[in-house]
Amino acid sequence: MQPRKDLLDIASLRDEELRAILDSAVEMKAAFLRDGEQLPNLRGRSVLTLFYEPSTRTRSSFELAAHRLGAHVTTFTVGTSSVVKGESVHDTIDTLMSMKQDYIIVRHKNSGIPAVIARHCKAAVINAGDGAHAHPSQAFLDAFTIREHFGSLAGRRVIIIGDILHSRVARSTSLMLKRLGAEVAYMGPGSLVPPTAHTGLPRFTHWDAAFDWQPDVIYLLRVQNERIDTPFFPAADYHQAFGITEERLQRIAAENMAIMHPGPVNRGVELCDAAMDYRNCLVCQQVQNGVIARMAILNHLTPQTLR
Amino acid sequence: MNHTYITRAIWAPNGQSYDFRLCLGGCSNPPQIDGIPLTGVEAVAPAGQMEIPARAAAVVDATGKLVLPALFDMHAKVELEGRSKRESVTRAGQAAHQGGVWGMLVMPTPGFVFDNGAALDSFADAVAQRSAAEMIPAGCITLGMQGEQQAPYNTLAARGVTILSDAEHVPGNLLTLHHAMQYAAELGLTFAIRGDVPELSRNTCMNPGPTAYRLGLHGTPPCAEEIGIETMLRLAEDAGAKLHLQTVSTAGGVDIIRRAKARGLRVTAEVALHHLLYTDACVGDYDTTYKTLPPLRTQADCDALLAGVRDGTIDCIVSDHTPCLPFAKKQDFISAPQGMAALDYLLPALYTHLVKPGKLSWAELVAACCTRPAALVAPRNEEGEPTPAPLLLFDPQAQTLVTAADLPCGTLNTPQLGQRLFGAVTLPL
Repeated sequence: MQPRKDLLDIASLRDEELRAILDSAVEMKAAFLRDGEQLPNLRGRSVLTLFYEPSTRTRSSFELAAHRLGAHVTTFTVGTSSVVKGESVHDTIDTLMSMKQDYIIVRHKNSGIPAVIARHCKAAVINAGDGAHAHPSQAFLDAFTIREHFGSLAGRRVIIIGDILHSRVARSTSLMLKRLGAEVAYMGPGSLVPPTAHTGLPRFTHWDAAFDWQPDVIYLLRVQNERIDTPFFPAADYHQAFGITEERLQRIAAENMAIMHPGPVNRGVELCDAAMDYRNCLVCQQVQNGVIARMAILNHLTPQTLR
Repeated sequence: MNHTYITRAIWAPNGQSYDFRLCLGGCSNPPQIDGIPLTGVEAVAPAGQMEIPARAAAVVDATGKLVLPALFDMHAKVELEGRSKRESVTRAGQAAHQGGVWGMLVMPTPGFVFDNGAALDSFADAVAQRSAAEMIPAGCITLGMQGEQQAPYNTLAARGVTILSDAEHVPGNLLTLHHAMQYAAELGLTFAIRGDVPELSRNTCMNPGPTAYRLGLHGTPPCAEEIGIETMLRLAEDAGAKLHLQTVSTAGGVDIIRRAKARGLRVTAEVALHHLLYTDACVGDYDTTYKTLPPLRTQADCDALLAGVRDGTIDCIVSDHTPCLPFAKKQDFISAPQGMAALDYLLPALYTHLVKPGKLSWAELVAACCTRPAALVAPRNEEGEPTPAPLLLFDPQAQTLVTAADLPCGTLNTPQLGQRLFGAVTLPL
């Protein structure tokens, strides 16, 4: 397999790479579950996390993954750096590359920034979320979790519910699942789900139609009020219109569907309390698999600093 | 008399071949074909019918080549960020000359704020000393293009300004604009404005569609432009002001203008060449060359805009020339500035992409790029008559594979880079 330097989005990966990363994640998980074991794969390498947007989960998940592979991890704190003094992304990267980093894990509010950085440096660049564009490590952990739960992805139906318009998770996860043979549909407020002509996916705006489609997985997106400066929907209606209420949970349980969510969850908005305790709620599994998937991703990439 | 003769050249607007005897020195009353004065020509005759003396200074056999009036570009920016004003003017003039453009309407930019007499005077000086092309400044609508206080229109008009524009900025306060139109209408000034509703296009950077979805970029809804056009039409109609709608990009916009013209409104409109040629799909993988304002739309919009040019709904095709520094365009798509450089190969690009494939006739091109825009803004002589355009000679057989060295405007933000374009310009004839 051709060595790959960066992971920027799902679209640029070949099918064989998607499978190779998912398959290696199975081995990574076995090692991960053997307590405290550190793999040698990235020993002596340096990994830098560069998060221009606040994040706790994704960042610690990547840091943990790098640790478990034996790498040395540095955290670049944007809030206290020269970035707030107006330094351009190019200049920040030049500075960081003089510090000899092998991997840069980046999150930014602007779509396309990781690609700009990747073109500009020899380190392997991993996109940990850019604007509404892509969040490929989330897509790997989601696909891994569904495959683990159901045994396979082919033919599975996944409905992604919520703010599709602003969601990089929706874009990456839907693309990943489709390429692995699953079917994906979108549901959400009319103002937040782009038309089928743009997405190529079925679009629902109410639960009856969603249930009629007979999904295997109900995938809820976080209502991201922090990204929205003009209201897109009447906030008071969201739970009743698009959330998993107790009534809907009964039907979900009766039909043995799974519930997923990229976190952090807004209880009482995307789902009711009881849904978090539902036997097929895979949210915690997703968090654990996040570390696994990120180990597999780090392991898959080859920085040019090593060639 | 030792005249130069150009023989068997095709007069582009009607496709017929002529022989031309060029002027020696000044020539006050040039002959015309189809009402277009043949600047620099003393006599014209159908090909083969002109008597050519043996002692002619030169006889150029122009078989297969075309003669047409040079282009007038209704919409260009010349400022090169970080360079001196004089260099900006020099380079834009060179680019225009190479692209077959003899004159242009220059939009105000942060470095060329045409909201006072001194700015216009110093620009005029720079143009007189440095430019190979006529550059007519568009006066600002509001001071500093800030949208708040009207610019001193009498002062601007006294220095020859006939068109007012805040470039891409659409005044947000309609009352300020309405008053400006009521005032400036009395001075005979034309308002050149783009259709937009800033609230609807805020935080957007391309056309909504499959590409915007894939790239996670927010789309500017076509209705923002269309509502803006409707609003400007109604304001201008009410105020009795002349209106020129800039860079129309949507099929819906063309439709609105067509209906307004049918109602007899005093409105003209332009389309940028890139809106006729490229769609939002060209953005591909965040290619900032294709980031424009308004954004590139769909093929259906391109088709409607071209139909608008052909039926006269859209009066002019413009370059919307916007030089950007390479560093600025290397940023991510959201941070990068909008705009393309287009002057350097304007006529070859028009020919290669529109005339050669049969989408636009030479007569239509001459109307949209030469005669109509020149009638709207060309400089006037002391009698108030428009300065006639010089003629150019165009060789459609010539080919250029455009490299950075071929772009005198000094920036690389153009899709022409790397393209094979047909046609070479000799200006003036």
